[in-house]
This record gives sequence, C-alpha cells and structure tokens, in this order.
Amino acid sequence: MAKSRFGFPPRAGDWALACLPLVFLLAALIAPALRLLAEAADVGSSDAAWLAPLQDPYLRWRLLWSGLQAGITCGLVLLLGLPMAWVLARLEFAGRSGLLRALMLPFVVPTLVAAMGVLALAGPQGLWQRWGGASWQGTPYLLLYGNVFFNLCVLVRAATEALEQVSASRVAAARTLGATPWRAFWRIEWPAIAPWLMSALCLVFLYCFAGFGLALVLGGPGYATVEVEIYTLVAYELQINQAGVLAVWTLCLTAPCALAYAILERRLATPLRADRIARHKPQSTGQWLAVCLTVLMLGLVCAAPVLAIVARAVGAGAAAWAVLLEPDTLHALWNTLRFSASALVLATVLGVCHAMAAQRWALLRAIAFLPFVVSPVLVAFGLLLLYPAWAASAPLLVAAYALLAYPFIAKSLASALDGMPAHYMHAAASLGASPWRAFWRVRWPLLQPALRRGMAFAAATAVGEFAVTLFLSRPEWATLTTLIYEHLGRPGQTHYASALVLSCALMALAFGAFMLMEWPARDDPLNPSPHA
Amino acid sequence: MLELRNIVKHWQAPGAAPRVLLDDLNLQVSSGETVAILGPSGGGKSTLLKIIAGLELADSGRVFCEGQDISALPAHLRRFALMFQDFALFPHLNVQDNVAFGLVEQGQSRSQARAQALAVLQRFGMADHAVGRVWQLSGGEQQRVALARALITRPRVLLLDEPFSALDAPLRASLRAEFAAHIASWPMAVVWVTHDEAEARAVGARGLELQAGVLQQRW
Repeated sequence: MAKSRFGFPPRAGDWALACLPLVFLLAALIAPALRLLAEAADVGSSDAAWLAPLQDPYLRWRLLWSGLQAGITCGLVLLLGLPMAWVLARLEFAGRSGLLRALMLPFVVPTLVAAMGVLALAGPQGLWQRWGGASWQGTPYLLLYGNVFFNLCVLVRAATEALEQVSASRVAAARTLGATPWRAFWRIEWPAIAPWLMSALCLVFLYCFAGFGLALVLGGPGYATVEVEIYTLVAYELQINQAGVLAVWTLCLTAPCALAYAILERRLATPLRADRIARHKPQSTGQWLAVCLTVLMLGLVCAAPVLAIVARAVGAGAAAWAVLLEPDTLHALWNTLRFSASALVLATVLGVCHAMAAQRWALLRAIAFLPFVVSPVLVAFGLLLLYPAWAASAPLLVAAYALLAYPFIAKSLASALDGMPAHYMHAAASLGASPWRAFWRVRWPLLQPALRRGMAFAAATAVGEFAVTLFLSRPEWATLTTLIYEHLGRPGQTHYASALVLSCALMALAFGAFMLMEWPARDDPLNPSPHA
Repeated sequence: MLELRNIVKHWQAPGAAPRVLLDDLNLQVSSGETVAILGPSGGGKSTLLKIIAGLELADSGRVFCEGQDISALPAHLRRFALMFQDFALFPHLNVQDNVAFGLVEQGQSRSQARAQALAVLQRFGMADHAVGRVWQLSGGEQQRVALARALITRPRVLLLDEPFSALDAPLRASLRAEFAAHIASWPMAVVWVTHDEAEARAVGARGLELQAGVLQQRW
C-alpha cells in the first residue's frame, strides 16, 4: 500500500481527492489523446503513411524547425539568463525585488499580445524599422525573439531560486579549502543548480516546440512550427488523418522531454534550505556593470515588445481607440470574462484536489504536468474528435480552458506543500487539532499565498487563451484574442491599428486579473521577508 | 503514567536494507518525573518521541497512558505536547495566537483563549511580544513561546525534542533553569531528548541512553 512521506497509509479522503483530477484528466486529455492516436491509425498500417512526415520534405522541415527553434531558444535563454540570475541571487541593489516581480510580466502577457509586441517592434513598419533598422519579416528572428521574450524569465526565475538554495556552508567550506570564487561556483554551485536549470530548459523546450500563437503570427510561411501545420491541416485543408499522424509524432517527440521534466521536478521537491548565501552590495565596477547589463537586458527582452505595442497603439490616434466601444469588442470582452471566470473556478477546484493528493502519490505529481506536454492545439483537436456532438458547446470550451490553467494552481500549491515543514501539522496535532482542524487552521492559511499566485497565473492564461478558442468556439463566442486575430487577418492599416488597441486592452485585462489575485499574496508567511 | 511496552520500529533508507531503530524498547515515566534520553544523532530518539506522541506508528508494541492502551489513539486526542527542535511556531499566526492554538482546539472561544495565552505569556516574560510575528523573535524568545504553547493546554505528557539545539551555549544554560522551573510547576510526565549530557544531567532525575535501539540506564 502507498504511504505518504508522513508514514501513514492513504485514507478514503485522499482517494476522493485524487479521483476528481484523475477523472477530469482522463476525460479531457488522455481519452482525446488516444482518440487522436486512433485517428492517426486510420491512415492504415502501412509504414508509408506513418513515415510521411519524415519522407515529405515540407513536413520534415516543419518537424525539424520546431525542434531547432526550441533548441536555439534553450541555448539563448541559458546564455543570457544564467548571468542575470547570478546577479539577482547574489547582489543586493535598489530595485532588485521590483526586477524579480517584473520577471513575471511575460507569464501574464497573452501569446497573441506578445506576438503583436514583437511585430510592433521588429516587424514591417515596426519601431526598429522606423529607427533605420531592417525589418525581421521573413526571417526566423521574429519567432526566436518572441520565444526568448516568453522564456527568458522562466530560466532566470528558476536559476535565481536554485542559486538561493545553494548551501552557504558548502560554498564557505570550498573557499576555506582553497577554491577561488569561480572554482567554488563551478565545483559547488553549478552541480547544485544544474538540475534546476535542466528542469527549466525542459519546460522552455516544451513551450517552444508546442507553441502555437507565436509561431502562427511570427513564423510566417517559412518558419511556422508543426503546431501551426496541424491547425492548417484541420481547419483549412480538412486532412484530419494526416493531422492526426503529425500530432502523434509531436507527442512522441515531446514526451521524453516532459518525462525528464517531471522526474527533475520530483527530485527538486525538497524543503527550502535554511543556510542561504547572503546577498551583498555590488563591490566592484564589474559587479555594478553586471547589474546595469541585467537591467538593460531585461528591458530589451521583456519590456520592449510590451512598450512597443503601447507606443504604436497611442501613435495610431484617437480614431483607432474607438474600437474599444464597438459592440463586437464589448461582446468579445464579455465572452472573455465569462469563459475565464468559469474556467478559473473549475481550475481552482481541480488544482487544489490535485496538489493535495499529489502529496500522497508521486505519480500524481508527474501527471499534473500532462497538460503542459500536450499543446493547446492537440488538446482542442483531440476534444473535437472525441466529442463531436459537444463541439462549440460552452462546457467543453470551459473544460479545455480549465485543463490548460489548472496545472499552474496544482504546481504552485504542490511547491508550497513541499516547502511546508511537516512538523507544523505534527505540532497542531500534538496541540489537539484533528487532521481536518489542523488542515483548516494551519495548512490552509499557509497555502493562501501560493493558491492566489497559482490562480493569478491560471487567470492570466485563461484570459489570453487563443488556440483552444480558435478550434472550439462558435463565431458568436469570439473572445478578445480571436477578435485581435480577426483584425490582424484583414487588410488595411485601420484593422492593424484596431488589433494594436485591442492588444493593449487584453494586456491590461490579463495584467489586472493577475494583480487582483497575486497582490495579496506578497506577504508569504512560509517565506517571510527578513525586513518585515 | 506513561508506559511503552516492547516497541519495535524499523527504518529503511532508499536503496538500503532495513535496520532496527527501536528494538523491543520499554519505558515507564511517572507523573511529575522528568526522564532525559541521550543518544547519538540518527539513533531513533526523535522517532521514539513521535511514536509516543502518536505522530508515527510503531511496527509493534504498545503505548499506555494512565493505564489505558493509547497505541491506536490519534495524536490530537492524546493530550500530549511535543516541542520541536526548531520550535515549529506557525508563521501565519502572531505570538499570542500561537500560544492560544491548543486552547481553541480544546473548544475554548478565541477571546478566552487569547486572554489565557496573554496571562501565560506574562509568566514567560513575553507579553510585550504578544501581537508580534514569530519570525521577528530571537531564538530564545521563540523557544519560550514554544514552551508556553505546549504547557498552556496542561498536557499529560510533555515531550521535548532537543529543545535547545538551535540556541547558543550561554542562552542554553539560562533557559535550561527557566524551563526546568516552568515544567516543575505542572504535574506531568516529561521526556526530554537531547544529545548533550550536561543538559540531560541538569534536567533529568533519571537518565537513559538509547543505543542500538535499546534504552540503558545511565543514572
């Protein structure tokens, strides 16, 4: 029988907690994925059909490019992000905590808005071109820039956290044994942070390989990824079988990376270390230069596209902003709000159940990442195939939103639970609190900041959801994202200006939803500020 | 008062063979008596306390309190109090609410519990910190709050797991006398686990050493 890390066998309540997310995952993810597999099998048992994506030069390039752009992005974010993380983890300077918070910004920006930002900055007629540079239209740089915009912060946050976990006494021991700072980093700090970096890089690879919105808008005909190809095959060419084969190939290629990520995450699930290395003020010109470069790099990569959208939207004139009051926009806003709110409620219930149950079964923790493995396009495609009668029905759309949003809540809560010393519950029990009372009076209040943080990311994800909406919604259920895409697809400067203004509105909405929930989470009792 | 009969507990590190942590262990502690248990780190002292507190299950053996078999009784119903090495104060509650925690669990209203907690904090010289956050306290202050929290519920058995291991030597010596005085004022059985023999001799009328899973009389 399975035992928790507390040494007691699971109770009926634990099984009940596990059931809800498991049934949901089975119905909304695993069954649709199997249906995709069955659809692909319909092409016949001949090797030719299965190997078509490898034999057809066009499809082979799509698969190859998907992996290549994901790999290049991994290299770029590691190269840029590790020094930045070192600065943030080891040096104390004014605005450091603000920078750390700003690193969350790209998580909140909807994919389509990010794509618009990159276009506004470096696309045709973009700010870069206006200042005398060449447009990046038709090159792979647009997509790579978009990828780095989203993923640099993933690596910097993970590496900063990892560096903060390095044992101060071990580094001190290495130094007293004759290691230079660089040798101490290489022999003590690097082995300690390597699993964290690998975990973050796995996630970056998965995000880039399975990315849809960025690749659709920024990739163009030459550099679109396999996800865009699947969408095109389903939505425009109606080649469901071929799309199914391609989807299965995608799943096979991303599965090892996802498995590695799940294993690494499990290994990293340990209580926070107490003897952290203290941060110090920059002491040399080199260290001050490193701080300046970090701020500059974060500004260029993470802030510039967002600011470019605002600048271009403001520059479009008052007439362009009138789009905000058009009936279509108000209707899309209402749809965005109601679908997101419904999905958030469902995602919260699922996330809480999943995180609590994952404390009992390690396998459940790995399963929480399944929605990260299967891209939104594949989720929507599988749901469409499995539940054709429910296509364009609100419950299916909300379920798909919740599926993509709830891992954020489960992950945030699971991390908080891992970091919570087991003896808090022991202390409560020894003071007379029943398991339920101990949960209600100790564990639940301590989990609030993590819950709100997870919900904030889930809300931002739901508000900015694009791929699933494109597949599963009816025309009258247009959300702000699909409306932006619609404007972007129409010719003329007016429509482009409207897309820019709507992007500003969507960004404000996603940011507002995030702040509304994340703001009260700043004072985390599990990780109190020493200056509080 | 407290009696352990034939307690056996095995422990298995991942990938290693299981080893006997507690081997047919027996112990009796009377009300008002303080027993000090010595032993090396990793020898099973903390596990023994957790088994007594009901936080961990023994592989075999029974735990009795006041003549009743409480082996299957959940931790929250035993009316024992356990003090942890790093205090285990709840960071989301202020000092007063930490101390009042157990009283609320016993069914007292929050206001009553808080008033009583304040009175106990006064006895411990900590009333000025009542509304402060626990992480703002020094190690010695946190230790006093932890003891106040443990004693306020009038436990039948008090279990202390290396209570001074996180403190420096001078503070340890002064707190030891203070703790002994507080504990003497409550009629309960006390099991005090430590690896410091001087501390054990100062607090324990009887000293036992846990070696190879068995308790041996030291004094």
